[in-house]
Amino acid sequence: MSQKQTVQINSAVADHGPSDRVEQVKARFLTYTPEVCPERARLITESYKETEALPMHLRRAKALEKVLAGMSIFIEDDELIVGNQCSKPRSTPIFPEFSCQWLEDELDRLAKRQADVFLISEETKAILRDEVFPYWAGKTNQEYATSLMTPEALDAQGAGVFTVGNYYFNGVGHISVDYKKVLEKGLEGIVAEADAAKASLDCADPEDMKKRQFLDAVIISNKAVIAFANRFADEAERLAAGADAARKAELLEVARICRKVPAQPAEGLQEALQSFWFVQLVIQIESNGHSISPMRMDQYLYPYYAADKENLGAEKVQELMDLLWIKMAGINKVRDENSTQAFGGYPMFQNIIVGGVDRHGEDATNELSLVMMQATANTALYAPSLSVRIHEGTPTLFWKKAAEVARLGLGMPAWYNDRVIVPALLSRGLSLEDARDYGIIGCVEPQVGGKTEGWHDAAFFSMSKVLELALNNGYDPMGKAQLGPQTGSVEDFKTFDDVVAAYQKQMEYFVKLLCHSDNAVDLAHAKNVPLPFLSGMVEDCIGRGKSVQEGGAIYNFTGPQGVGVANVGDSLAAIKKFCFDEQVVSLPELKAAMDKDFEGAEELRQMLVNRAPKYGNDDDYADEVAVMATDIYCAEVEKYRNPRKGIFQPGLYPVSANVPLGSVVAATPDGRKCGQPLADGVSPQGGFDVSGPTATVCSVAKLDHTVASNGTLLNQKFSPDSLAGEDGLQKLIAVTDTFFKRGGFHVQYNVVSRKVLEDAQANPDNYRGLVVRVAGYSAFFTVLDKSIQNDIISRTEQVA
Amino acid sequence: MNWTDKLYDFDALQKPDWEPKGLVFDVQRFAIHDGGGIRTNVFFKGCPLNCLWCQNPESIRWRQDISFVEQHCIQCRKCIAVCPVSAIKTDSCEERVTGIDKEKCILCGACFKTCYAGAINIIGRWLSVEDLVAMVNRDRDFYVASGGGITFSGGEPTGQPKFLLAALQAMQGLGLHTAVETCLHVPWEQLEPLLSHVDLLLTDIKHMDPERHGALTGVSNELILENFRNIAGLGIPVRVRIPLITGLNDDVANLQATADLIASCKNVQGVDVLPYNRLGISKCHQLGCDYALADVAPPSTESVEATADLFRSVADDVTVGGM
Ligand code: SF4
Ligand code: SF4
Repeated sequence: MSQKQTVQINSAVADHGPSDRVEQVKARFLTYTPEVCPERARLITESYKETEALPMHLRRAKALEKVLAGMSIFIEDDELIVGNQCSKPRSTPIFPEFSCQWLEDELDRLAKRQADVFLISEETKAILRDEVFPYWAGKTNQEYATSLMTPEALDAQGAGVFTVGNYYFNGVGHISVDYKKVLEKGLEGIVAEADAAKASLDCADPEDMKKRQFLDAVIISNKAVIAFANRFADEAERLAAGADAARKAELLEVARICRKVPAQPAEGLQEALQSFWFVQLVIQIESNGHSISPMRMDQYLYPYYAADKENLGAEKVQELMDLLWIKMAGINKVRDENSTQAFGGYPMFQNIIVGGVDRHGEDATNELSLVMMQATANTALYAPSLSVRIHEGTPTLFWKKAAEVARLGLGMPAWYNDRVIVPALLSRGLSLEDARDYGIIGCVEPQVGGKTEGWHDAAFFSMSKVLELALNNGYDPMGKAQLGPQTGSVEDFKTFDDVVAAYQKQMEYFVKLLCHSDNAVDLAHAKNVPLPFLSGMVEDCIGRGKSVQEGGAIYNFTGPQGVGVANVGDSLAAIKKFCFDEQVVSLPELKAAMDKDFEGAEELRQMLVNRAPKYGNDDDYADEVAVMATDIYCAEVEKYRNPRKGIFQPGLYPVSANVPLGSVVAATPDGRKCGQPLADGVSPQGGFDVSGPTATVCSVAKLDHTVASNGTLLNQKFSPDSLAGEDGLQKLIAVTDTFFKRGGFHVQYNVVSRKVLEDAQANPDNYRGLVVRVAGYSAFFTVLDKSIQNDIISRTEQVA
Repeated sequence: MNWTDKLYDFDALQKPDWEPKGLVFDVQRFAIHDGGGIRTNVFFKGCPLNCLWCQNPESIRWRQDISFVEQHCIQCRKCIAVCPVSAIKTDSCEERVTGIDKEKCILCGACFKTCYAGAINIIGRWLSVEDLVAMVNRDRDFYVASGGGITFSGGEPTGQPKFLLAALQAMQGLGLHTAVETCLHVPWEQLEPLLSHVDLLLTDIKHMDPERHGALTGVSNELILENFRNIAGLGIPVRVRIPLITGLNDDVANLQATADLIASCKNVQGVDVLPYNRLGISKCHQLGCDYALADVAPPSTESVEATADLFRSVADDVTVGGM
């Protein structure tokens, strides 16, 4: 029986642009340059020195307590939602307990590197060098994890077959806590729960003795967060004393709220948002794992909104939401230089998802769903990530709002398909109600919030490198070493099936090493960096007396990503067609040309590029091969289990790891040259999608998105003119709807910007599929005369 | 079946002996400005007009053409080796391939087959109705979801009436919305049998004055206007497209006369103002021909808007750029 009451949705609530206050706060935000803040590093090092005799759970809790009590706090002008991550907005704390060798090595380059620059003062460098690094040498989680890995696994990582760098060097993150519980019960409620669990323990039972340590840690850390909120109340009162009457009233209200939440249950929207924000913030001070995803905010905030909306009015609601969005954009993290290639643009992946069905299968859209989409339009920042869920009953006003925001060219919202994701999660053992309640972690990974430790970004795995090894008898032509088993040389392959068999054997070998490496990192986190504050908000950690890192969550997974679907598909399709079906070139000849990076064989390369079938053009020949190659990867991954008693589940998305992973793959049979990036997610290789978006969508829908339950990613580019007007919105909706009816998982749209066109002008080979569409005319952009291209570029500037 | 398959299907270059067959130069999926919704647009080869501003110059001749895209040429010289009539042009020191001598070329296709870089293309493939059905079936869901369908344009689709009729019947058999874009310079006997299979006609009014029309397009507009009025009499839905060419047909008198014509025809559902763009230039170069309007600038935004406003007085649905 449905328990949902039909609520009338007034779409006009989300028609409000940014208020003056929001404009000001955003303008100020944009003036900040990311910087390294030494406070957390210094405080946690001091704390660790003080607690060496204690069990790790207590050390973690006491460290958090010390950081929250000792770090600088501030409230900026015009702010209504308060709480900062470190001493300046957009700056980053340091988390030396996870890893710090790379930071020590790269300290002087942080401000000079290509991507994701962080300023760092000489004082900060001195603090880190004198007080922090010396203590942590030999004690970090990374070093422990390394000690658990076999030499073969380390070699495979070194050669770029896969990388587990994300969790190896950092916290895990990639979680959504039970925000609803926090709002309803407050942190005092969680403390009470932990107290009750403690009371039922048997003090002589050795297992229970461990549980007690964990529960004590939960209590200490929650109380520390309550004290942290009270510091903001004090600060607001201090500022109020010197403020004008209007601001004084605001600050006193902020102070009242910070004394109340997150300690106690929230009432009204501002209290709920503030309570949410403290929790969201401290999770990202406790650990530097990214992708702390708020998920279904339109659902759990709705009661607070509904109770308060008449009182606040729609404009005020929008303003509060916009301010929270800017707060979320201020969270930051410094990564090592290599990782900035895979994660460029300061991303924190705090993913908010709106719409979809509720736990009973009814449409869950409400007015807040629309207000949240509008907040993304109003703030127009790269964060937080906004996603939408689509199901059969998604109302038209929701579709339209989402399409309008997509058209702005922010790359948001990302669209998700309930029809595929709910069954995919069911197949992974979730209950039907939990599956319906899914949200998205980070980029594209679905899970149910508040009870899952999904380890979604466990690794990036280069399917392309595996094919390369299969064509080289296990020898790595880039690293010049035997890396994999000997599975036959190209001279031995008599049929296409022989090639596939070698690929399959290499895949078996390297997926095993991948899962071994992931499990090594997993075990290290459980031992060295349990997170008691986070764990208190994830079911059933308190009940089991275990942190999420030790398997306290209800659902546990590990999700490594396969990268290079299109490259492997296109490469195998070219081999099949030219070396076996048509026999125009032998496999050894092809390989010899690849070994020379097609030097002196440009004709052959052009044949591979232009005459071989390509994945992404709705060409069954190429698509079937891509599907087969991908299934081999997925089936291998599914065989393994993690230390938290969960299964491995494959995903197919790269974030931007396709760039670094491509840099260590030699020339490939699809005509790609040595070191070029691999294809993005399940998208076709750039420049090979010459048949337009409907063909791409048909191709991508042929992959089994249900098996790739850790997420797949499709990026689609549209020129602004194709999305203009009411008709343009309908087209965007039609493409999405059709893709989803055909079994697509995720899609996101980028509006082709002036920048993209300029890049296409400079690098035409990557953009062969970019079409200029005007009435009665079709042409590929890259073959137009330069002056005409310039015309189009200048026109694009006017539209966008 | 997919148009990309056809592109390198060398059999499709040879004139087949089956019927009905259509000579087409492109099939564009996700066409979005040619009749509403998401459509597949089939571009027919051959056109009775020769408009100065033509943006698809490869459409004009009733037979195949050959084109050369210099950016794609890797100068492998294989085309020179295979050409039976020495039609490949090189620069004065015979070092670089620069194009194709159309006078000499016999369109044998040998260079195209050997040019892996895709620099040489034979424009025009023979298409069967079955292939077309297979292609549109791929995108059917998109048409349904967006209110789209199939558009036949070109070139002049009615110039290949047998194939067009069979194709229209097949599309209607699939329940798809059909649009035909025609210049209307066709004998009525050739046009009329097609009309009952067309859900929407897209037609250009290029100039109201017969002489000016002749100067701009190579033919007078008498037959065109007569057909236009006949169609109005039959009540077939029409969208009128106005190519707006700076200095050639954008004077108020001409635009007003066009608007008066539209006002007198109840079947006109909407007007699309299509501002002149210079997209034809590149294609002309690739075909090795000269572009007549090289010095004409696209109309200003103000003039486009003023024109759209003028037509808003006679039609409800006026777009700039098509729908
Ligand atoms: S075959 Fe093609 S790429 Fe080679 S020279 Fe001729 S036109 Fe250029
Ligand atoms: S089509 Fe034949 S005749 Fe014409 S240029 Fe090519 S090879 Fe020569």
